[in-house]
Amino acid sequence: MSGRYLVRRLAQVVPAAAAILITAFVVIHIAPGDPVLALAGQHGDAAYYALIRAKFGLDRPLPEQLLVYAANVARGDLGVSYVHGRPVASVVLERLPATLLLMMTALIASSIVGIALGVGAARRVDRPADLIVRIAALVGYATPSFWLAQIAALTLALGTGWFPVQGITDARQVWTGWRYAADVIHHLALPALVLAINELALTTRLVRTGVLECLATDYIRTARAKGLPERSVVRHAFRNALLPVVTVIGGRIGMLFTGAVLVETVFAWPGLGQLLLSSIQTRDVPILLALFLLVSLAVILTNVVTDLAYVWLDPRIRYE
Amino acid sequence: MRRGQRWIVLSALAAWVTWATPAWLHAQDTPTRGGTLVVAISADPGHLNPAITTSGATHTAAELLYNGLLGRDERGDPIPDLAESWTIEQAGAAYRFRLRNDVTWHDGTRFTSADVKFTFEEVLLKFHARTKASMGGALAGIDAPDERTVVFRFKQPYAPLLLQLDATEAPIIAKHVYQGSDPQTNPANAQPIGTGPFKFVSYRKGAEIRLARNPAYFKKGLPYLNELVMRVIPDPGTQVLALENGEVDFLWGVPGPDQNRLKADSRFRMAQTSYHPGGSNCIMTVSFNLERPILKDVRVRRAIAHALDRDAFLRQVLFSEGRVATAPISSELAWAHARGLNMPSFDRAEAERLLDAAGWKKERDTTRVARGVPGVQDGTRLAIDFLHFPAFSKYGELMRQQLGAAGIDVTPRPLEPAVFAPTVFKDRNFDTNVISYCNGPDPEIGVRRMYHSSQIGPAPFTNAAAYRNERVDTLFDLAGLTVERDKRTPIYRQIQEIVVQDLPYYWLVETPTTRAWSAKCGSFKGWTGLFAEAAFCNR
Repeated sequence: MSGRYLVRRLAQVVPAAAAILITAFVVIHIAPGDPVLALAGQHGDAAYYALIRAKFGLDRPLPEQLLVYAANVARGDLGVSYVHGRPVASVVLERLPATLLLMMTALIASSIVGIALGVGAARRVDRPADLIVRIAALVGYATPSFWLAQIAALTLALGTGWFPVQGITDARQVWTGWRYAADVIHHLALPALVLAINELALTTRLVRTGVLECLATDYIRTARAKGLPERSVVRHAFRNALLPVVTVIGGRIGMLFTGAVLVETVFAWPGLGQLLLSSIQTRDVPILLALFLLVSLAVILTNVVTDLAYVWLDPRIRYE
Repeated sequence: MRRGQRWIVLSALAAWVTWATPAWLHAQDTPTRGGTLVVAISADPGHLNPAITTSGATHTAAELLYNGLLGRDERGDPIPDLAESWTIEQAGAAYRFRLRNDVTWHDGTRFTSADVKFTFEEVLLKFHARTKASMGGALAGIDAPDERTVVFRFKQPYAPLLLQLDATEAPIIAKHVYQGSDPQTNPANAQPIGTGPFKFVSYRKGAEIRLARNPAYFKKGLPYLNELVMRVIPDPGTQVLALENGEVDFLWGVPGPDQNRLKADSRFRMAQTSYHPGGSNCIMTVSFNLERPILKDVRVRRAIAHALDRDAFLRQVLFSEGRVATAPISSELAWAHARGLNMPSFDRAEAERLLDAAGWKKERDTTRVARGVPGVQDGTRLAIDFLHFPAFSKYGELMRQQLGAAGIDVTPRPLEPAVFAPTVFKDRNFDTNVISYCNGPDPEIGVRRMYHSSQIGPAPFTNAAAYRNERVDTLFDLAGLTVERDKRTPIYRQIQEIVVQDLPYYWLVETPTTRAWSAKCGSFKGWTGLFAEAAFCNR
């Protein structure tokens, strides 16, 4: 891969992000809704509502609001949250670690376990273990995460008492050091499990199918004919089968964030998903725009990383 | 006394004691010092300055850090808080307050009358929507003649003041912290300094707020708790699970389907209250858009009222958590609430008769059509829309079902609150809707705005019906100028009699909320924002 290609791909991020931001701005403002109500409450008078509207520039024509917003973003200023009264960047950044922890745990766990189950099922095709994995994957993929979250809370938390049902730490104890880490992991277990199930099911099915397809190709037949051990044969097939899996995992970042909105709400996980939901309810437009931008950038950059992963997985691929 | 008679007397006595003991207090509530109380809250407050907002999320999380000049007792009457006494002068055009001299801010600075004057003039009257809307135009000035005296002067007698001075309506903030800054962006909003029973410790955004006992609190011996944690849990179902799992101790509300389960569990206690920091004494109210030709005829509005079975709303929507409304003013405001009004009751035959009389006839279709209705083309179907918040979708379903049975086609239109308000109050694009109108601590705050013709306009949650009645306007103006409560009572009664006849609205159900808490904790004051001032937990 040439460095020029990489620079060109990264340069494309800027106009893509600008287009996303402008589209999101227009769509949010065209949609009905008034953030002033969330700011001023039920019992304000007309003068007060006008004051709030003027304070945040909501009384200006939409094109003017867009120009001001675009100029501010170009300077790196994402604005001030209507509800939090603080810079959007700080509101978003303080929630980012919790969501990254949740999403990355779910993504890594689902990828590792999904690949293991997929390869295992492919090696035992049409045997009981394969059947169990296929059925479990189908059920896991079809189960909505909000329902799964409720069931997990009722059984694994309330039923056994093993896990807490909410939060990122214990409310009654303030831990430090490794005990803090253990506390966070204890609270992370259920939401990460729920978020991972769907991804796990998808990855398992993809890997199984990919490995099976590769195992039926001529080069595998040749390898077997040459007497290569079965373990080595599967390793060759697995590497080629990974290409579509990497594509899908990269493309699932956006979907994973959507799942995080539901899981964070059910488990009171203090991340970006919760922030997105409350910002939609209160029409906190600066926060919403920043979150759209963040997720869009994450998806775009993940695609770039996916392209890089192709080269590593398949040396035949070259970008110019 | 024979044995049987004694048993009856003792039973009656026990029943009376049970009835008369507030659900908030229990005999075994013996306060102990120490412990941590974990309270579930539904939303991240964003900041912790209740003086610059009426947001329920901020007030729920922050009021224990502050005090008002006055508090409120369980019946809603004013009691001393930062002010130890008060006098009403000039027939209600001036109020003089004597402040306590043993109050300090959490940073050790002495609290004085300058703090009160600053809070009202520079913060509440500019940024607290309810205080600004109700008091702003009436106030002539605030004087602080000495460190312990504050005088509120009004342009004319002002009745509701004493009920507008608690930590919900008028929390007092520190002048030395906020002077010379923008109160909306002052860093102290995230690290507050108040006078309240608890001091700020930490605020993890979206997760929790930790408070600690204020050892210098001016109410000697209080609070009992060492620590109080507000835990953000947006999903009501998860809140209940967290209570059952022992992770939290106190819930501000319990979803209807979960109430019986908690009620049957001896580990928990429950009580109802109409107080809520975002708005108290609320009634789910159907508004009729009186500018729509179909709804101009009071017979049609009365028919709709007769066609609605409000007991079904109470059972099926609220799981019996509440009461059928018997007057336009909440029964919680007992002195203003009119008893024995001739409110339309469920009577489908009467509804059908009224619709027939108004020219809405049943023909081939199940929906009635207009035959000679003024302003409506003949053959027009009797079809109306019904706007509601998504959370109130069950009201829409019942309206559709019950009015459909009387030949009225209802189309529910769920709208998010941020969309609902401009659609109803600015665009006036609706036939009917349902709103949780909160009366507040005084009818001047939350009732007047529903009926006074000056309140027709774009401001949310005002006169949605666009109701105009000169007599009603005059009576509201008179009630606002009358300070003595016993003289205001008959005025509000007259108003309620008139509006029940005119029916610009139909009042469905009063909606108190159920608080639930661990039986290991107790002594909550559920009727005030300082709900944990005297609470304890035996853990």
